[in-house]
Amino acid sequence: MNEQFRIAQKLGLMFRPEETLPEDIKFWAIKQLKAPSPVLGTETVHSEIKPWPKSLQPNLDERAEMMRLHWENTKKRRQKIKGFDTEAARQANDRENRMHKKDMLKFAHQNAYGSDQVRQRLVSFWTNHFTMGGFESRELSSHAMEEGILASFDDSFSDMLYKATTHPAMLMYLDNHISAGPNSNHVRWARSRNEQAGLNDNLGRELLELHTVSPSANYTEDDIRDAAKVLAGWGMDVQGNDIQNLLEQAGTINHWDMYKKNWAEPGSKVVLGKTIYQGKQGLRQLTDFLANHEHTITHLSFKLAEHFVSDEPKQSDVDYIASAWRKNNGSLESIHTAVIERAIESKEPKFQWPMTWLFQVVRLTDSRYFKGWSEVDTYLDRTMETRRIFEELGQSFWVQRQPNGYSSKKEDWMSGEMFERRIRFSESIYNSGGGITEPEVIMDRIGASKETRNLITSLGSSRKNQFIALMCSPELMGLEHA
Amino acid sequence: MHNYKLTRRDFLKASGASLFLSGIPLPGFTSDNPPGNISVIILEGGMDGLTAVPPFGDPNLEKMRSSLIPEDYLKLNSFFGLHPSLKKLSSFMATNNASIVHATSFPYKKRSHFEGQNLVEGGGLSPFSEKTGWLGRSLELAKIPGRALSLDMPLILRGYNENDNFFPANIQNSNKINNNLVDTLSKVHSMYGAKVFQKVKQKSIENLGNIPRDAESLAEYAGNAMSKKGGPIASVIRLDDFDTHASQGDGEGKDHGERLAKVDNVIAAYKRGLGNAWDRSIILTLTEFGRTVAMNGTWGTDHGYGTVGLIAGGSIKKSRVIANWPGLAKNEQFEQRDLMATIDYRSVCAACIEKSLGLDHDLIASQVFFDSKLPRVFDFIFS
Repeated sequence: MNEQFRIAQKLGLMFRPEETLPEDIKFWAIKQLKAPSPVLGTETVHSEIKPWPKSLQPNLDERAEMMRLHWENTKKRRQKIKGFDTEAARQANDRENRMHKKDMLKFAHQNAYGSDQVRQRLVSFWTNHFTMGGFESRELSSHAMEEGILASFDDSFSDMLYKATTHPAMLMYLDNHISAGPNSNHVRWARSRNEQAGLNDNLGRELLELHTVSPSANYTEDDIRDAAKVLAGWGMDVQGNDIQNLLEQAGTINHWDMYKKNWAEPGSKVVLGKTIYQGKQGLRQLTDFLANHEHTITHLSFKLAEHFVSDEPKQSDVDYIASAWRKNNGSLESIHTAVIERAIESKEPKFQWPMTWLFQVVRLTDSRYFKGWSEVDTYLDRTMETRRIFEELGQSFWVQRQPNGYSSKKEDWMSGEMFERRIRFSESIYNSGGGITEPEVIMDRIGASKETRNLITSLGSSRKNQFIALMCSPELMGLEHA
Repeated sequence: MHNYKLTRRDFLKASGASLFLSGIPLPGFTSDNPPGNISVIILEGGMDGLTAVPPFGDPNLEKMRSSLIPEDYLKLNSFFGLHPSLKKLSSFMATNNASIVHATSFPYKKRSHFEGQNLVEGGGLSPFSEKTGWLGRSLELAKIPGRALSLDMPLILRGYNENDNFFPANIQNSNKINNNLVDTLSKVHSMYGAKVFQKVKQKSIENLGNIPRDAESLAEYAGNAMSKKGGPIASVIRLDDFDTHASQGDGEGKDHGERLAKVDNVIAAYKRGLGNAWDRSIILTLTEFGRTVAMNGTWGTDHGYGTVGLIAGGSIKKSRVIANWPGLAKNEQFEQRDLMATIDYRSVCAACIEKSLGLDHDLIASQVFFDSKLPRVFDFIFS
């Protein structure tokens, strides 16, 4: 591939046919970090590309209200209250008060049609790092992705970590909204009534293990427990609490700033030798400390290099990113710039996630493979349900999954079934019609290698087979040639 | 309530199990054909062994976790009960085709899911030390392939290139896969990618048709495939959501109970698929760790250490609860919080490999688990 497409594959989502290839690819990639990103999509499968309607992008308050309504209606349905107990009412409730189908489609659209491909790749990396894919929290994960992760790109990792940790999607996904300090007023009150209440260390543990320092820091169970104590009191059930209850418990209706004093653990805590003071500010103190911890820097520099540079990054790649991190106090722009520089420097192919590969194929071929936003709840003959596309790929940010997210290494994605899906999706994209299906045109644009051209020539005249082979070639999958 | 013939508890001191080393073990089979087949059900998240198989004879159980004990458990013997969601397993126990190993774990004590999962699948001496899995290495030694029932290839089965996976596809606008195309693709991909494409070809020749994707249907399919001559000899299936930090519940229909019912149904589905091959089968559960003895503040349990292993199949001739019970008093717990593990579950896995693949224990110990001192517990399970 020519240098523009080689980099667009490693760091982005490939150039769409209408995009002009930049002369200076490094300059372009770094500039992408600051590119404004209106959410682009289509109203129907084949209509023109334009910004997503505001009405389909609710803010957090509106999402919370929808979740509450959905829950209320579901309760009424279960109680068999007239008007709520029909199948039509159930469907209407999902249609009006559920967001994840629309969020999923918006994500697919932005990746397929958006003009901020490098940012989108970084958003996916961090969304995967801060996995929040639970059953209820999936209603909020798209909000966390845009307002917690993407919106932090001009700030530091500390800011992103705090936003992700306190986001209701995270607090609910890892049970923190129901965790109370063992010596909190709430627990004392519960005990007097012989009820169960207390600490849940789920988020405290993953905050240390996955989100920041990693087990290499040799933290103890006491560190985990104290981190959980710092977190105790944060968050409330988004779907099950009315405004009155939120105000009584947390003094606010802002779910991103919900701290219940009565559930908090009094006294200071010690995490990895650092004393954390009691009270709401303690969490920011803890996340700032963890964000700048040497083990966090090396852990995440490695993880970034593994995702963008090479499956087996060189120590010098990791050091380069870590050094940019230290020098610039965790500025995400500096960290991301360092990642871009090393990814360009390294000539090694980088295997791409199934999801990333699909977006790349769609962009490269200008296909219309996704529903339009007006068709979310409509069955279409020739266009797959978005949820099913992700399901077949074995990868989605909206499914229940483990908090460690998806692996960046090819060895974890190599299987007969996974490769079978690549062939099937290539065929499906070809058959869905429209777009550029001539392998020659695509190969000329990307500057395909000699090996890839030979592969296509050897296949005879079936354009469909040529198309599938091109998309499943080592070059387009980010794998080595024989 | 079931009435069992299990009149005595079989205690096992793992440290005292017999073993001697005699130079370099000979690789390969101890007999010409593998005597059986093996299936592993991976329970992701850390199964709570004290809920699945409550030791109601331990006076501290009630004290530590009164709200997590199922009331209507099935009595196994004077000490252990079985969760009411495991009814099918209990019927297999009644016919001497299932056993339980309690207070067991892989030797991993750090309570991280991801390290733990890597270790129980990799089977190495520390997390992330192995790029292949213990079942994969066993099959490589036996030279007979196995099959995973998932979209990806789980670590546990990696290590033998002939191993395959299966998961039904459902993609609009795609038809039959062109085998010439797949051949050509496998020629241009480097060695590993090429192998994987060859498997795609195999699949399209087998023409597996449309099988539902739920765990039960997959297990039945796997059992059926293993029952056929020349079919896979091992299979792996993953069940998730055992990480019950909150609202774990006690009996049937509660969170943990529903997950156990799923395990129960998967084992029964295997049996249906296996048919007569059930008689030479072994199915075992595998989980990264157990959970805390005491309930946490949110009606659940946090990550722990010792747990339970469920084993079923016609290879078992006598049902037992195999345990060297450590006790549940605070000072008997591991780090005063978890169920202590007194049996190394690697030994149990090794015994199941020995039984199903006919490999020699010393070979399994040294070349699969890289621990030549791994105790042999075969007789406690299969005699």
